[in-house]
Amino acid sequence: MTAVLLMVAGSIGALLRYEVELAVRRHTVSDFPRGTLIINVSGSFALGVLVGLAAHHGIPTTVVVIAGTGLLGAYTTFSTFSFDTVSQAGRGQWRAAAVNVGGSLVLGLGAAAFGLVIGQAL
Amino acid sequence: MPESTGTGEQSGNSGQHDPIPTRYPHHGPGPMAAIAGGGALGTLARYVIERAVVVSPTGLPWATLSVNVLGSFLLGVVVTLVVERWPTDRYLRPLVAVGFCGGFTTFSTLAVEIDRRIQHGHIGVAAAYLGLSLVAGLGAALAGITLAGGRLHPSLTGASIPDPDLLAGDEGRL
Repeated sequence: MTAVLLMVAGSIGALLRYEVELAVRRHTVSDFPRGTLIINVSGSFALGVLVGLAAHHGIPTTVVVIAGTGLLGAYTTFSTFSFDTVSQAGRGQWRAAAVNVGGSLVLGLGAAAFGLVIGQAL
Repeated sequence: MPESTGTGEQSGNSGQHDPIPTRYPHHGPGPMAAIAGGGALGTLARYVIERAVVVSPTGLPWATLSVNVLGSFLLGVVVTLVVERWPTDRYLRPLVAVGFCGGFTTFSTLAVEIDRRIQHGHIGVAAAYLGLSLVAGLGAALAGITLAGGRLHPSLTGASIPDPDLLAGDEGRL
């Protein structure tokens, strides 16, 4: 049963990522992969809150697995981040590639840390 | 973009920057179902690997690391193949790239795993994990692209590295 719900959550996460990416592209014309950045930062924050809550409030493991591993794990993506960064470097956009790596890490880790603090404090 | 046929606006780069989503090739029930199906399978595969690989809360998260490296490699291969060889295919990219690779790999788990190790004072493990993820992940994407026939610089002859923002179906690379 967990596996079925996990797969449903994963498909929702993938569709949500696609829709967010499209929405970002409707509003910006840019080479920079800001859609993926927004997705990864927002998903990291949400997972931080969930894990922080789970650590202090005894949320059932199944809920954490379905919402965390399933929904948020599928919503965020590492492969597109890798691909985009290599693409930027391949086009000679080294500065943009460095900004993408640095920005994703600083904002992503920061958002997750902020989420963990909030989740633990709630 | 196959449908943009000789209407005068093809000077230079074809179809450059046309993000207005009037005719996204992956829209429609079929491609959306492919994204959902690929996402479900990718998520399940990641879950199976994370259950199989025992990771200590203070150790290196090998499961997520492997998943992210493997997924980056696969995405590099698939996107390059679709772009270079099967540009009109409507399902491969939503299914394997957006759905499976996107659902298989994860950024949020990586971020939380690093933060929790820092929180508990395991700075060295956190740094090693971060460094390995970056080097192996980017290296795997590069290897996948190269193996599938992509070139690293457009000035080189042959197929150049797929430029996701210049190609039809660019939103399908997630």
